[in-house]
Amino acid sequence: MTYRTTAVRILAAASALAVLAACGSSGSSSSSGTTGGAPVHGGNLVIARSQDSQSMNNTTVFDNESIWVFEQIFQPLYTVTPSGKGVTPDLATSYKVSADKKTYTFTLRQGVKFSNGQPMTSKDVKFSIDQSRAAAQGWGYIDTAIKSVADPTPSTVVVTLKYPWAPLLADLSLFSNAIVPANYGGKSETQFYTAPVGTGPFKWDYWHKGSALKLLRNPFYWEKGKPYLNSVTWTDVPSDNTRQLQLKGGQAQVDEFPAWSTVASLKSTPNVTMHLFPSTRTDYLGLNEKAKPLQDVHVRRAISLAINRSALVKAVLFGNGKPANSLFPPQVPYYQAATQGLQYNLAAAKAEMAKSSVPHGFSTTMLVPSGFSDWTTVSTIVQSELKPLGIKVNIQQLDPNTVSTDQQSLKYDMTLTYWTMDIPDPDELATFAVDPAAGSKSFFTAYDNPTVVKDTHMAEQTLSTSARQSLYNTIQSQSAADAFMAFLYYSPYAYATTSSVHGFYVTPLGNYHLENVWLSK
Amino acid sequence: MAFVGRRLLQLIPVAFGVTFIVFFMVHLIPGDPAVSILGIHATPRAVAILHREWGLNRSLPAQYWLFLDRLLHGNLGYSLYYGQSVTSLVLSHLPPTLWLITYAGVLSVLISVPLAMIGASRPDALRDHVVRAVPLVGLGMPSFWLAFLLILIFAIKVQAFPVSGYGSGFFGHLRSMFLPSLTAALALSPVVIRSLRASMLTVLGAEYITTARSKGVSGHRLYLRHVLRNAVIPAVTVLGINIGFLIGTTVIIEEVFAIPGVGQLMINSIFQRDFPVVQGVTLVFAIMVVLLNLLADVAYAALDPRVRFD
Repeated sequence: MTYRTTAVRILAAASALAVLAACGSSGSSSSSGTTGGAPVHGGNLVIARSQDSQSMNNTTVFDNESIWVFEQIFQPLYTVTPSGKGVTPDLATSYKVSADKKTYTFTLRQGVKFSNGQPMTSKDVKFSIDQSRAAAQGWGYIDTAIKSVADPTPSTVVVTLKYPWAPLLADLSLFSNAIVPANYGGKSETQFYTAPVGTGPFKWDYWHKGSALKLLRNPFYWEKGKPYLNSVTWTDVPSDNTRQLQLKGGQAQVDEFPAWSTVASLKSTPNVTMHLFPSTRTDYLGLNEKAKPLQDVHVRRAISLAINRSALVKAVLFGNGKPANSLFPPQVPYYQAATQGLQYNLAAAKAEMAKSSVPHGFSTTMLVPSGFSDWTTVSTIVQSELKPLGIKVNIQQLDPNTVSTDQQSLKYDMTLTYWTMDIPDPDELATFAVDPAAGSKSFFTAYDNPTVVKDTHMAEQTLSTSARQSLYNTIQSQSAADAFMAFLYYSPYAYATTSSVHGFYVTPLGNYHLENVWLSK
Repeated sequence: MAFVGRRLLQLIPVAFGVTFIVFFMVHLIPGDPAVSILGIHATPRAVAILHREWGLNRSLPAQYWLFLDRLLHGNLGYSLYYGQSVTSLVLSHLPPTLWLITYAGVLSVLISVPLAMIGASRPDALRDHVVRAVPLVGLGMPSFWLAFLLILIFAIKVQAFPVSGYGSGFFGHLRSMFLPSLTAALALSPVVIRSLRASMLTVLGAEYITTARSKGVSGHRLYLRHVLRNAVIPAVTVLGINIGFLIGTTVIIEEVFAIPGVGQLMINSIFQRDFPVVQGVTLVFAIMVVLLNLLADVAYAALDPRVRFD
């Protein structure tokens, strides 16, 4: 019948379109090399991530997706060691400190050039740190101890402090203090950050917002023979499943943060390597001391004692983490492993409740950011674990933006939150978490223990390692005893890569050095 | 032309209404864009600085008036998140979405027309039941599930298409957008097939078809010239309306296939409380739906000379 012929023709047209589409360009080949060996040059590394960057302005931006990109372009004087617990020279080679511990003289690395070919000098360093200090709504607070920066010679920079400051090198290793050309190379700040120039291993190519951002190899990079890659592309792939499929299909070589539920299967997927890098991420249950009866230390201690952290690690992280015992994670200097914190002990929890102002329990609300399955699981488990204490928890899921706003204005009873370190020193976290006057209202809990606050500020200006350790031990044990938050668990950074990726390493602070990464053929 | 002009004029109140509703609805959602950007470092001072910078410290009517004033000058404002003009952001995200909608429309026609013809050729025969029943699976399956199924089969197993993305160049887009468009087309086709099949059955029973047959017109010529052309008009309406709905569902498809279209831009902007972008994208969506309906109306006249616009 002719109509059949017509139908078949149209179907054929559809098939032809499919075939044409399929043949339109060459198929993406999956890199499947598994051998290590000597590094080879070339290739484009594709990192699939769930979110786009926000801005390349290293002095004002807080989101990790921006930070991890511009860290490939800009470099600081000192950088974080692979252990995440110290610093190592980067654009500086050494420093001398004055007898009063208030003047640091840095010697700059010779032969360093920006990606536009211009040499880096002390003028650039002075300009960069001054810009970072001036960033009022940015990272300026990290440099509050700095009184002035001077550039006496092209290869020397002098940083003068208001007072001795133990975390100075850690603060200078922060990306906000990374070096950009003086006066932004003659551009306005806005113009400069649309196509930034730095001394790092990669230079700017393009940014299609909401889609992809690409960096190219910096031919002027100072480390001989590096970087190995020709380019790096970060693609925005919101769906966990799609990122994983891109990895399997060879369309991406790195899957940033695969879901915990998929870690086990990724470990056994051919041509895929599952990495679990130790991290500084710590998840907490925040307890608002302005919300009755959470101002009662016995209630807070009871809550903390009733939470089975091992069960959380098993259910939420599928075993890929550790119960938290301290405000600090193990990858932070001065972490005290001996601090037991308030670990699961139902009998002790009941005893604390009996001593509290609400011995028969109470009703409360837990504010939980929606869209995060991990936190949904945590809230459900905590809800059931607090039942034996007579605490009825109503879970209120709101979108993350609303939760943040409510947390910061203390409009909540209990909430879930987390922290990752920005510098290899506990000072930033300690101040943020326990100082009610620091702007963060003690991690937005209104916790106020004058002894802990005093020790925190004393530790900032104490240069002796052992004395600092002693102060931070007190801070950790006292804040745990006060149970201003329930420290829940430590989790690693999960990255899945194809087995063709070599040298990919993430520090506990989340930074990665792509100059060391290479792709096998 | 007068009809088209009138319909285009109707766009103005529609666009105005959309901007009004969206502007105030977006501001009703709790949450603060400054908090979204500053994250855990959102001190009251830092938030206040950003509010002043963005004009969010003004009253809502003042902000809306500013938005309208800019709009009349062809300026949709500036993204709070990216600090880039909304017009350039929307324009850069529009091509993937237009590709998706057009490609899905073409594929759904290529799927629907032959299947409807096969079904209509033998009403209530096995082939007719198959044609009516099987495509319903596509309608019943959630788009995201169908999308992953297609990816697993055609991108991972067969490796004929990329897992996701928009591709580059015409053939790159053709290849990369095939699976997302097929996902949309499979959801769109069942309604079109049923509508077209029903119309064809009606037309096949018409006297002019009998006349045409008695004159010796048959087969290919009969179906293409007489049956399909007359039967396709209701299907065009159905297709037009459903493509309008499809614009809404592109959001999910763009998310699963990581297509940098306006749907994805919209979702991200809502989470970031990037008010100007949400307003801009909604306006674009509204205009697209109105234009698609207009296109469907215009298509009637092209397909059926008896249809005239009043």
